[in-house]
Amino acid sequence: MVSNLTRRYRRGGKTINAVDDVSFTIEPGETLALAGPSGSGKSTIARLVLRLIEPDAGGIEFEGNDFLALGSAALRAQRARLQMVFQDPLAAFNPRATVARVLDDPLRIHGIASRAERPRRVAALLERVGLSADLAPRAIHEISGGQRQRVAIARAIATKPSLIVLDEAVSALDVSVRGQILELLLDLQRQERIAYLFISHDLGVVRAVAHRVILLDAGRIAESGDARDVIDAPQSAIGKALVAAAPRLNRTRSLGRP
Amino acid sequence: MNPLRRFLRTPEAVAGVVLLGALIAMALIAPLLFPGDPQAIAGPALLPPFNDWSLPLGTDRLGRDVLAELFHGARTSLAVGLAAAAAALAIGSVVGTLAGFAGGLVDEVLMRITDAFQTVPSFLLALAFVSVVGPSLGVVVAAIALGTWTGPARIARAEVLSIRERDYVASARAIGMHPLEIAFREVLPNALPPVLAMSSVIVAAAILTEAALSFLGLGDPNRVTWGGMIAEGRAVLRTAPFLSIVPGIALVLTVLGVYLTGEGIVETTAVRRGLS
Repeated sequence: MVSNLTRRYRRGGKTINAVDDVSFTIEPGETLALAGPSGSGKSTIARLVLRLIEPDAGGIEFEGNDFLALGSAALRAQRARLQMVFQDPLAAFNPRATVARVLDDPLRIHGIASRAERPRRVAALLERVGLSADLAPRAIHEISGGQRQRVAIARAIATKPSLIVLDEAVSALDVSVRGQILELLLDLQRQERIAYLFISHDLGVVRAVAHRVILLDAGRIAESGDARDVIDAPQSAIGKALVAAAPRLNRTRSLGRP
Repeated sequence: MNPLRRFLRTPEAVAGVVLLGALIAMALIAPLLFPGDPQAIAGPALLPPFNDWSLPLGTDRLGRDVLAELFHGARTSLAVGLAAAAAALAIGSVVGTLAGFAGGLVDEVLMRITDAFQTVPSFLLALAFVSVVGPSLGVVVAAIALGTWTGPARIARAEVLSIRERDYVASARAIGMHPLEIAFREVLPNALPPVLAMSSVIVAAAILTEAALSFLGLGDPNRVTWGGMIAEGRAVLRTAPFLSIVPGIALVLTVLGVYLTGEGIVETTAVRRGLS
């Protein structure tokens, strides 16, 4: 789906390749993880895949179409199939919005439900992500972080996408909430065959949810393959460093292989 | 503590509210207290104040009731001040939002137009506009707005430049929202608070500009204005200074009231933001 993607930034005469010649594909219903240290280009790739920023080189093919060739109106229509969940669930919503408005927007924009039908759809979406429909009239800042991330997921699935980009979607949540949200994401994937591009620096989470993993270093692919194989026995220097930096993984590994 | 109580605890805010409240009351009860034309002759000419209790502030050169003129003048000052400030804030925030959100060429063009308006002294601009189009209340409002929208535009643009990089704007794009809807529904409302903080200064400046235009004879001739009253009294400044002093004091108190109220509101909201 993604080939030879490159994004450069220019800073004070120097050109920095934030993303350098990265290619990968995601199959329907699959979870592909992007992992790497800070500044390795993970979030830039997320924004490139969604065309929130434009690449300097390379191509993106989405559902058989050249995604980069779409004009602005066609792109807006196509966005229904490709959604994103952000790291900070508070920053990802308009501070003045209510839960109902946040979920109403995608339904209205893509003409998914009539005005009269939308409140019912909003309630159904809230229930789908394990929230009470009573939450709809509440303001975004009045609900908890975990509830907010569930609303963000509800917004992402409102348009029935085939791919959701999860940019550190569970990193800002505390451990117990994180488990519930991951469970919800896996459940949605099983039922709707949604593919995830799962961006995380937490290799423990990656190992638990991803089918395949790509390890990034300074904008380049350092290593890729089956998530468990790569994390249990990293070949690249950056892979070894990342695994060594994850205390939980280290311990289980040394216990498992004495 | 609730914001209203905190607001009323600052003495300058209370003084501002009292002054502004008195002004609004004057404007509202003017037609009840002084029905009929305030520009009609009510008694002997140049009657000094506190002589005749049916004409407590005396009369001007043509024998018009100064107190009635003062009350009716409050209506004009308030109407022009609020309308001009509202128009300036509306134009400014729309232009600033478009420039900041669109970026590139649109930003360049809009900001150069803003520069052009800002380099001309706003009072000269208003003066030229009114002398060309002709004096009437609407024209005076437009003329003042023309010279004051640039400040709000710059502030709105600066705010929008920071807001457009936030995640919620990215997520609005990701769900396929139209750029104009993002600009005016997601970005503009969140860029407004610092723009609105300027409103008291703009209202005060608009009231003063209106008075200055009227003083130069470019106000609406069918309405009593404080600026017009001062101009009227100028001819007899030595023999009847009260004719200029009374509307002058009214102007000072009004501008002070608007300014203090605005400061109080800004102060209260700043404290609230600081606490949260």
